[in-house]
Amino acid sequence: MRDANDVWIPSVCSQCYSCCGILAHRVDGKVVKIEGNPESGNCQGRLCAKGVSGIMTLYDPSRVNVPLKRSNPEKGIDVDPGWVEISWEEALQTVAERLSKIRSEDPRKLLVMASVMTMDQMYFARLFGSAFGTPNSVWNSGAGNHCGNAEHLFGALLHSAWSKQPDTDYCSYLLNFGVPCGFGAYYAATGMAQRIADARARGMRHVVIDPFLSPTAEKADEWVPIRPGTDGALALAMLHVLLHELGAYDREYLKHHTNGPYLIGEDGCYVRERDSGKPLIWDAVDGVAKPFDAADIKDFALDGRYEMDGAAARPAFAALKEHVASFTPEWASPITTVPVATIRRITAEFAEAARIGSTIVIDGKELPYRPVAVLYFRGAQGHKNATLSSMAIELLVEMMGASNVPGGVLGQNSRCLGHPKTGRPSWSPVAGPDGLLVVGGNWSGALPYPWAQPKKPESMSLGGLAPTVIVSPASLPLVTLDPEKFKIPYKLEMNLHVGTNYLMTESDPKVSVAAFKDLFQVSSSLFLDEATYLSDLVLPDTCYLERHSLTAESVSSNSPLEEWCYHVRQPVVEPLFQRRNFSEVMLDIADRVGMREDFNAFLNLLLDLKAPYALDVSRKYTLQEILDRRFKSMFGEEHGLEWFQEHGVLKWPKRVEEVYWKPFVEVRVPIYFEWFLKVGEGVKKVAQEGGFDDVIETSAFQALPEWRPCASHQEKRSEYDLYAIYYRVPVHSFSATYNNPWLDEISQIDPYVYRVAINIETARRKGIKDGDWMDITSAGTDHTIKARARLTEGIHPEVIAMANCGGHWSKFLPIASKSDKGACFEWLLPLTFDNMDIPTFNLDLCAKVKVSKAEG
Amino acid sequence: MRYGMVIDLKRCIGCYGCQAVCKVENATPPGVFWARVMKREFGKYPNVRRVNLPLLCMHCREPECVKACPSGATVQREDGIVYVDETKCVGCRYCLMACPYGSRFFHAKERYYFEGYGATPFEEWGYRRHPTGVVSKCDFCRHRVDQGLEPACVANCMTKARHFGDLDDPQSEVSRLIRDRGGSQLYPELGTDPSVYYLP
Repeated sequence: MRDANDVWIPSVCSQCYSCCGILAHRVDGKVVKIEGNPESGNCQGRLCAKGVSGIMTLYDPSRVNVPLKRSNPEKGIDVDPGWVEISWEEALQTVAERLSKIRSEDPRKLLVMASVMTMDQMYFARLFGSAFGTPNSVWNSGAGNHCGNAEHLFGALLHSAWSKQPDTDYCSYLLNFGVPCGFGAYYAATGMAQRIADARARGMRHVVIDPFLSPTAEKADEWVPIRPGTDGALALAMLHVLLHELGAYDREYLKHHTNGPYLIGEDGCYVRERDSGKPLIWDAVDGVAKPFDAADIKDFALDGRYEMDGAAARPAFAALKEHVASFTPEWASPITTVPVATIRRITAEFAEAARIGSTIVIDGKELPYRPVAVLYFRGAQGHKNATLSSMAIELLVEMMGASNVPGGVLGQNSRCLGHPKTGRPSWSPVAGPDGLLVVGGNWSGALPYPWAQPKKPESMSLGGLAPTVIVSPASLPLVTLDPEKFKIPYKLEMNLHVGTNYLMTESDPKVSVAAFKDLFQVSSSLFLDEATYLSDLVLPDTCYLERHSLTAESVSSNSPLEEWCYHVRQPVVEPLFQRRNFSEVMLDIADRVGMREDFNAFLNLLLDLKAPYALDVSRKYTLQEILDRRFKSMFGEEHGLEWFQEHGVLKWPKRVEEVYWKPFVEVRVPIYFEWFLKVGEGVKKVAQEGGFDDVIETSAFQALPEWRPCASHQEKRSEYDLYAIYYRVPVHSFSATYNNPWLDEISQIDPYVYRVAINIETARRKGIKDGDWMDITSAGTDHTIKARARLTEGIHPEVIAMANCGGHWSKFLPIASKSDKGACFEWLLPLTFDNMDIPTFNLDLCAKVKVSKAEG
Repeated sequence: MRYGMVIDLKRCIGCYGCQAVCKVENATPPGVFWARVMKREFGKYPNVRRVNLPLLCMHCREPECVKACPSGATVQREDGIVYVDETKCVGCRYCLMACPYGSRFFHAKERYYFEGYGATPFEEWGYRRHPTGVVSKCDFCRHRVDQGLEPACVANCMTKARHFGDLDDPQSEVSRLIRDRGGSQLYPELGTDPSVYYLP
């Protein structure tokens, strides 16, 4: 018999997006401890500082506890909204009336915003938006500082996954372009911390390329400082050394698992067989061209030039090799500041560690063994050159054949063959047009392949324009400001705003204010944060310790290794005060708006609810009922909500065919992105027809990688002599955790979290001492922010670095908004199309700044 | 039998998980850190290293605090755990001065984490363990150890950098690690013989 006054309840954390399984201890109705659930593969029983500190998020007296409406009609970045308490009935009635009117006029006028901090509410909000009928759902503001944009694009095209991780069981050389994987941030934060520590203890060499001696770089075997925004140039030079100096590449892999043998004509496109339209390859033995999938191919040519109907053609690999001929270490060194000898040495180490040609037997299956991995995320790709730099970095892995095989880079759960009893859920990459990879069902962004023809955009993020845009485009605020320019035939009227502090996580806050202040903003929020200064209504949401969740099982939070893990999030305590779970509120609103049938239909579709568990579209269901059906539909009648509430986690082992799927799936990946050229032409045409080609510049749609400078690299004014970058620390998630007093206390003690790191010699030249206040002025926005200096040898002399998203100013966050609580990086980031990577609408984070000692 | 801890500095990533979980497990008041992490930097750009040093009570075999305590409040158990019996502590703070590791904290007055809001339900529940006017410090989570559990900072460490066990047993994991990896104590020259060892 359980003592109801003293219980441990299994649930799921939400202090970042990693979704670790937790056990929460409740005594006499109070939450007194949160531990990692040892049954949870995501965290393996261990949590980060944020995870154990969730109690103070639950009990924070600054939480929103009742529905509020503004009494001050004037909206501004620091204008007090004059909050007035209202009833839930009044709030819901107001929301329903607004939504009903918009839906009857033009549902596209609704914008839905959410945050990966609340994966469950984000998912539900997206369903709501889709059922409502708006293409402006869901937008995560984190595109500014946080999103992997182009990294996700290549995740889909090359790894069939949202993100990726090194194979910590077998990798022996990890080349890490500044990703905090294993260092308390990034996906699967806690589980990867254990695994990366194990790998380092096992002897995996960890080389970190980063402008700052970050929490990741400080534990590396080697720290390679680099000028911000130039990682792509380094990768290109490494490709040059691999292909031209070392001759190190996996020929068998390139022949059989990539489009490396596909013949490329002089126009840059595939040479296709006339009748079938299939790309041709050159059979080196028979000396003739054949369709890439012909049964009688004796050997795929990777090199050479061939005559095809009077025109020259060469294999895609040969095109790549010729293309990188000029990208020598001598070319890259002045761009990156990485010494020529260092580039050659780490490339040689990398190539040697890859053990091309070797195999390993796992579970009785002989597989390629390529124990080298490359990681990159926001730091390397968060630039104007995102797409082309990401492409260059990805090709390092492809050249080694180290993609989704033992020891290499693993897509995060690219393939699932299902629970042993039900075979569900299941997804797998498959071969699409031209034999190239189409991402499996574990995918939540826009589908980049098979690629869709660019068309006239319909959404405020210019959705539909380019199939290379995956998630949270930074274009949205700009188009919202001027839809007519982009021939968008409507204006946004309402923002259903779910838990994202977009004023502190997108870009220049003044642009965000201008874009969104005229919308009727309904926020479901934990706090009256900066973004709610623009709200008309604020609804008090539950935090993760007070609610059930539909989708607490984000597969991105599973390590690719060991076991599949599905969790339930359930309330540890009943919602305090008048807080309500916004997922439940959305079900209510759907009813009031008269869209229950549409909503239920979307739930059936996107939750993959199969008979007999599919929802009757006309019936009203509680969230718990939907959750129960979801679990039963996936895992059988015996594994309903009640089972999950008691056990917390359902898990089963991952199979070799899932983890190391590449040798098991008949599919090729591109090393030559042929269709990007066509996408670029299409985008150009649409932009010209729409009259917005002045801002949509399409030259970055290339089949092969290049390095192009960011605006900051071309800044001419000599006083703007430093690059400002941001990085992540393990004690905060984005801007969301700064009012947590335990995390605040740690941040005050830590030398870096609330300070801006600057090189000792650079600071000396500027007369700045440790602890001095500095004025940091952006060349791009002209805004000045103030922060205190931390002098360190551990940073590139041209760089200053700030952690996460501090520098809050909401007066309703008394801990976070005190002076000396870090800096808000967004003020330095101009939001313009010039400052974006056009193929992905990824915002450049390369802020050029001038820095001086602040007076007084 | 002598309990000890081994902290593997190669595995430690300075994430402050230990500091936070100690805060939760022991409900220590603001400003009191039975577990903490210090960071130091060495070298010149670009050859720079940063070292994270997790600190806690060293549970010395020859504890200066026990000698300094006039009221018998600081006690060394048979198993080596040194703890403060707050019912006997008179708040003289001689032990704070005697401890070479800065591991002791004086709880001067009742304070809460959200200034001006009183105690959260967690603090209402947890601060009953922390009377004011007395000294407190890490006790190796003896309430957990007595139940056969590891101290919270060991159980939760997300890089598995911490190990706990019997230093007197040459076969124990902690003894083996100290022997094989060259574990060292802080300030061994003081003769306090700490029970906390660090691996390089």
